[in-house]
Amino acid sequence: MSVPGHRLDRMFNPKTVVVIGDKGPGYQWLNNNKGVVEKGGNLYSVQVDPNQIEGIEKMGVKNFTSLADVPGEIDYALVAVPRQVAPLVLKDLIAKNAHGAAFFTSGFAETREELGIRLQDQMVTMARAANFNLVGPNCMGLYLPKAGVRFNGDAALVDDGKVGFLSQSGTHGIMFSLVSKANGVFLSRCASFGNAVVLDVSDLLEYLALDDETEVIGMYVEGVRDGRKFFQTLRMACERKPVIVWKGGQTEAGARATMSHTASLAAPQAIWDAMMRQCGAITTNNLDETIDVMKLIINSRRPVGPRMALLAQTGGQSVSITDAFAKAGLVVPRFSDQSYADLGEFFNVIGGSYQNPLDMAGTVAGKMDTLDRILRIVDADPNIDNVAVELSAMFAARSWRRDPKALDATLDTLQNYQQRSQKPLIVILHPAHEGEYIASIAEKFIERHIPVFPSFERAAGAMARYLAYATN
Amino acid sequence: MTFQSVLTQARSEHRTLLNEVEAKQVLGEAGVSVTVTTLATSADEAAKQAEAAGYPVVLKVVSPDIAHKSDAGGVKLNLNNTAEVKAAYAEIVASCTKAVPNANIVGVAVQHMAPQGTEVIIGMTTDAQFGPVMMFGLGGIMVEVLKDVSFRLVPLTDRDANQMINEIKGRPILDGVRGQPASDIAALKSTIVKVAKFVEDHPEVRELDLNPVFAYPDGAIAVDARIIVAEA
Repeated sequence: MSVPGHRLDRMFNPKTVVVIGDKGPGYQWLNNNKGVVEKGGNLYSVQVDPNQIEGIEKMGVKNFTSLADVPGEIDYALVAVPRQVAPLVLKDLIAKNAHGAAFFTSGFAETREELGIRLQDQMVTMARAANFNLVGPNCMGLYLPKAGVRFNGDAALVDDGKVGFLSQSGTHGIMFSLVSKANGVFLSRCASFGNAVVLDVSDLLEYLALDDETEVIGMYVEGVRDGRKFFQTLRMACERKPVIVWKGGQTEAGARATMSHTASLAAPQAIWDAMMRQCGAITTNNLDETIDVMKLIINSRRPVGPRMALLAQTGGQSVSITDAFAKAGLVVPRFSDQSYADLGEFFNVIGGSYQNPLDMAGTVAGKMDTLDRILRIVDADPNIDNVAVELSAMFAARSWRRDPKALDATLDTLQNYQQRSQKPLIVILHPAHEGEYIASIAEKFIERHIPVFPSFERAAGAMARYLAYATN
Repeated sequence: MTFQSVLTQARSEHRTLLNEVEAKQVLGEAGVSVTVTTLATSADEAAKQAEAAGYPVVLKVVSPDIAHKSDAGGVKLNLNNTAEVKAAYAEIVASCTKAVPNANIVGVAVQHMAPQGTEVIIGMTTDAQFGPVMMFGLGGIMVEVLKDVSFRLVPLTDRDANQMINEIKGRPILDGVRGQPASDIAALKSTIVKVAKFVEDHPEVRELDLNPVFAYPDGAIAVDARIIVAEA
């Protein structure tokens, strides 16, 4: 149990999971949650339709035709029944004292039609009266890798994920669960919360903030019902761990009758931005920026200053990398005199440069002891806070294909640096357009915990965000 | 007059807008530095109050029906003696009556004309999602055209107020550029924090503008103020 006594603790650490109303031929929810059994928990089905039961039993899942018959305490239920039935299922869950449920069922207030609104109101009234932990409706529910609970069968089932993620959108929740895996960023707990009519983003955020297994929190949010509660919870969370907020959708200003100058200037998005800064949150604009800064936080040392050593391979790239980092607000200073003296001892200035940014391919020429020597010099340089290294996806990658050991040797050198140095390392594999090969070697970076980015701009953006957070 | 009595008065008149005299009075009570402003209902009264305020003085129309005082000819600056004050009083009443024929002209606000400082705006509004929010920005065209302003949710810490000031793009102007004197950042910060505290203490306040506040090398003072309260 990771937040003992918290009202959401059982739901977020389930041992007994029930899927209600899953249907063939795919039985997507039972399939998504097969991991529960692998992790030593109990997975049950509740389905009254005799046509569906045979398929469920064939999967080796015990089916009940009444929720009341499910043995033991239910920690988490995923409900996928038609909307008219949803309030009845909720009634049964409340009667059974279940610890929580997510309603995949949609067709509620989001339809803006009378029946949907009425059914939703009915559920809200029941859940509130019973203090029931209802996630959604109109959501994908929970993804809890350690417990084997998933909303997508391809998401990782690791036991030691460190990142919590909350999403108002089901799509962004699913995408994040997959994109994070591809980037070696593993999740501890994740919730897609949909209409959030009972448990809202603040309730879920509070749990992740208190959860000791979650070291970093990310979220996709479009709007909140209770702004003050969100402000207070976000501030509390940011005091405990990095929180990345990807705010989607610019609220329409609408026709606001204002009499003061201040009110006319206070656009909703400006207030959101200010609120997030006030809390100390890391703000992002899209999925890429979100995963990028997370990847850096998870894999890198905490930055203490803006001064970059830029280790590029060639002259043209040394200019591009400098533009990108400088535009992101980072600094590219001169090296110390000592560094120049040390680099001057071996640097090949014909076709190269040992000014910062370095143009080093001609000097390194595939010799890892030379790369290591350069890394040691910049590590010792008092003018430098962080190191960015370009690995050329167009040139070096061609030789790695012929000789995979050359890539391993490069990564070992970078990993050794990362293990001994306090200065954050950020790696750029650019230009990353020969996608198939780049994807084939991604695992090698993940294994070694080396944060790698497909462009200078994305690397610089991640560094700037992490630094702003770390020095706030 | 306390905030409560000003509020009661406004509500009895079905007003949500507190006039400049009222707004400055309640803010002054909350420790916010404002130019002392009194309400005159005759030219003679205005002349008497001008003597007390000290020349030069400024006269501004007080009317719930006139939002843009300058446009209606309701503002007279840099008045230096009794004769000028009396004449200005009459001119204000005449031109406002002409500009807004049925306007209820309560009187004219009299105040000492503060020396020009660096103009800033300090304001507050109530956001539909997040409640009371403070705003800070440079005055004049910086706020009108560039919307170079920063926001923070109430309640505010000193750190929040500091960040509000440092966040605006025009921040170097407050350090003094091209021979202009630097502004007293501590005084601005303290004004922001006091206004935020005032707002926190009085949830009836929905919107508030101190526009402009004059910032000096030593101190800062609000020379105009308006407050909008929630309907009863």
